[in-house]
Amino acid sequence: MNPANSTDSITSASLVLAELRRGDSAVVIGLADSAAIDAGRGTEDSLIARLRDLGFVPGAHCEVVARMWLGGDPMAVRIGGSTFALRRAEAAAVRVQLSRDVAPATDLASPRTRAAAA
Amino acid sequence: MDTAVESSPLRVALVGVPNCGKTALFNRLTGSHQKVANYPGVTVERREGERATADGRGLRVLDLPGTYSLHPTTLDEAITRDVLLGRLAGAQPPELVVCVVDAVHLPIGLRLALEVKRLGLPMVLALNRMDVARRRGVTIDVLKLAGELGVPVIPTVAVRRGGADALIEILQPERWPARTVTAPASHENTAEDAEQMQADLRGLLAVAGYNPPRSNPWIARIDALLLHPFAGLLILLAVLFVMFQAVFSWAAAPMDWIDSGMAALSGYTLEHLPPGPVASLLADGVIAGAGSVLVFLPQIVILFFFILVLEDSGYLPRAAYLLDRLMGSVGLSGRAFIPLLSSHACAIPGIMATRTIPNWRDRLTTIMVAPLMTCSARLPVYGLLIAALIPRSAVGPFNLQGLVLFTLYAAGIVSALLVAFVMKQFAGARQYSPLMLELPDFQWPHAGNLLLGLWERVKIFVSRVGGIILALMIVLWFLSSYPLPPPDATGPAIQYSLAGKLGALLEHVFAPIGFNWQISIALVPGLAAREVAVGALGTVYAMSASGDDVATQLEPVIASTWSLATGCALLAWYVFAPQCLSTLAVVKRETNSWRYPLIMAGYLFALAYIAAFVTFRVVSAWT
Repeated sequence: MNPANSTDSITSASLVLAELRRGDSAVVIGLADSAAIDAGRGTEDSLIARLRDLGFVPGAHCEVVARMWLGGDPMAVRIGGSTFALRRAEAAAVRVQLSRDVAPATDLASPRTRAAAA
Repeated sequence: MDTAVESSPLRVALVGVPNCGKTALFNRLTGSHQKVANYPGVTVERREGERATADGRGLRVLDLPGTYSLHPTTLDEAITRDVLLGRLAGAQPPELVVCVVDAVHLPIGLRLALEVKRLGLPMVLALNRMDVARRRGVTIDVLKLAGELGVPVIPTVAVRRGGADALIEILQPERWPARTVTAPASHENTAEDAEQMQADLRGLLAVAGYNPPRSNPWIARIDALLLHPFAGLLILLAVLFVMFQAVFSWAAAPMDWIDSGMAALSGYTLEHLPPGPVASLLADGVIAGAGSVLVFLPQIVILFFFILVLEDSGYLPRAAYLLDRLMGSVGLSGRAFIPLLSSHACAIPGIMATRTIPNWRDRLTTIMVAPLMTCSARLPVYGLLIAALIPRSAVGPFNLQGLVLFTLYAAGIVSALLVAFVMKQFAGARQYSPLMLELPDFQWPHAGNLLLGLWERVKIFVSRVGGIILALMIVLWFLSSYPLPPPDATGPAIQYSLAGKLGALLEHVFAPIGFNWQISIALVPGLAAREVAVGALGTVYAMSASGDDVATQLEPVIASTWSLATGCALLAWYVFAPQCLSTLAVVKRETNSWRYPLIMAGYLFALAYIAAFVTFRVVSAWT
């Protein structure tokens, strides 16, 4: 769970958003299939689905803007031009890959290039 | 379609993600012709407005709660879905949907628009904040977007006069002939479905040549500071300090005007009406009663001014972010912070402000603990008792009287946190309620929207004064005035009234916590509003003075006749006791049931009794 180890890794290891530090940029790989935050919820009001609706979809670029004290909970994440405050439990449901592991950090793919890729 | 339906206004619903400028657009469309109520059976605010059209049919515009998706996670969002699906009992589905999309944050809004479009309702897309989008380098080919989406796309600038003219043009009812819409089915919420939607969205953005906004380095820097764990909290404290100062100092003068205005009106009434029950009812019941509540209007206006500015500018979600962890540890949401803060002025606006908490459970917890915050109506009582009973001695660098006052404030906050914590335990295995809070871009608050927002709050407050609060005041006036004392009465008139008899009965209940019969009687009219107890004590002790002079005259009487234990017990009582029918009336209104005000009154009275009992015993043993 130590973010420092993960950032140093050469292989593009998969992390969860909750492990990132302030200033880290990452690409969303996917969302957890089931998570603690969805306990007692159905598919209708799934919070995982909500994260997807907020833009946490595979390929989306995000950046950790700020983290609070005490384990960095909650954290502020910038994605798709909007900023969201997420608690640790919510951020733990988002699987990411650090941007420097996949591409130069400057490559903030515009939807046009993303669409072309898709 | 029959003619009756044809001639009724076209039902238009505004849908959009939070912070997309939907409410500003709603204000632009309907002006001040708005009605704010609750949806039947739930506590979600329903905003509807009317607009005349050239053909005379008119528009009836419904501002639906903001949502990111039609798969709701909160009550508000469920309302939006249910209205669109025509599922909400007693509400007809809209004939036309205006989907408001913030051009600066096109992807998230357009995703919702795609979801709404699938429902099959006639739809127009309002591309709002086009001016900001252009400034920030966003490019959108509106025609191509409209072509690909298959609905009209109208650029708007909701905050600018005339910024919605093109939209108003297209909303002419004759352009939207009635057509039978089969109740649209809700679509599935599977991952495949969502992926298809994302693919559609990417395609749309590509066709429209969407270019995302440039980030503003200054805004980023300011945000980093405001969200900083240490500096951010310091700034928040400073903001709160200024707000508190303003609420108490700016409001002082207008409060005096209202106070003296009401006193003059009451005096004028007594002078010009033949003495008797009618004059007494008008002067002491209606005018004095309404006045004792209206006097808080300046504080409420100033408080809501600050809250609306903080909300409009985008700071409020950041404050919730900073405090989420702290408040989360006792089961409150970070969003509970502003309502609880407001409750220090008066619990009524505080409870009204809980509407910004989307999760019902979080909101209920906040409402239930709001009256524990030391409201300004307690100050006259605290002031009187502290001045009369607590010596002006120094404790280290502090003044003992000041320390006692601080302790009373702290007792309120600490007990609120404890009650919230206990409520969290009782809620059992409750569902996780998410933060997932958008921190919107900073923007200057718009004066027109501020004024409308303030006007709305003032209207709600004043209409409440005119209704239930006033009715309660009149009942209390009756209880304190009748039956009239016998001609040979020696005691104060209130002693012979129903309130007096009630007080005498209550004395048996209150004796164990050290209250004498005078206090017991004063507590009855004090139910209307806490500070009324001071005046009632004055009446009981047969004081002839009125207003501030009562306190001055009462001080020596209390100092010489009450024990320290009795005084402290009364202070402890006042920390908890729900001595404010107005608050309970607001809770009834906001929760749409008698259940919660009754639970609130029950638990607060129980806490008050226990606290006063313990205080009385401990101080008695100690002195």
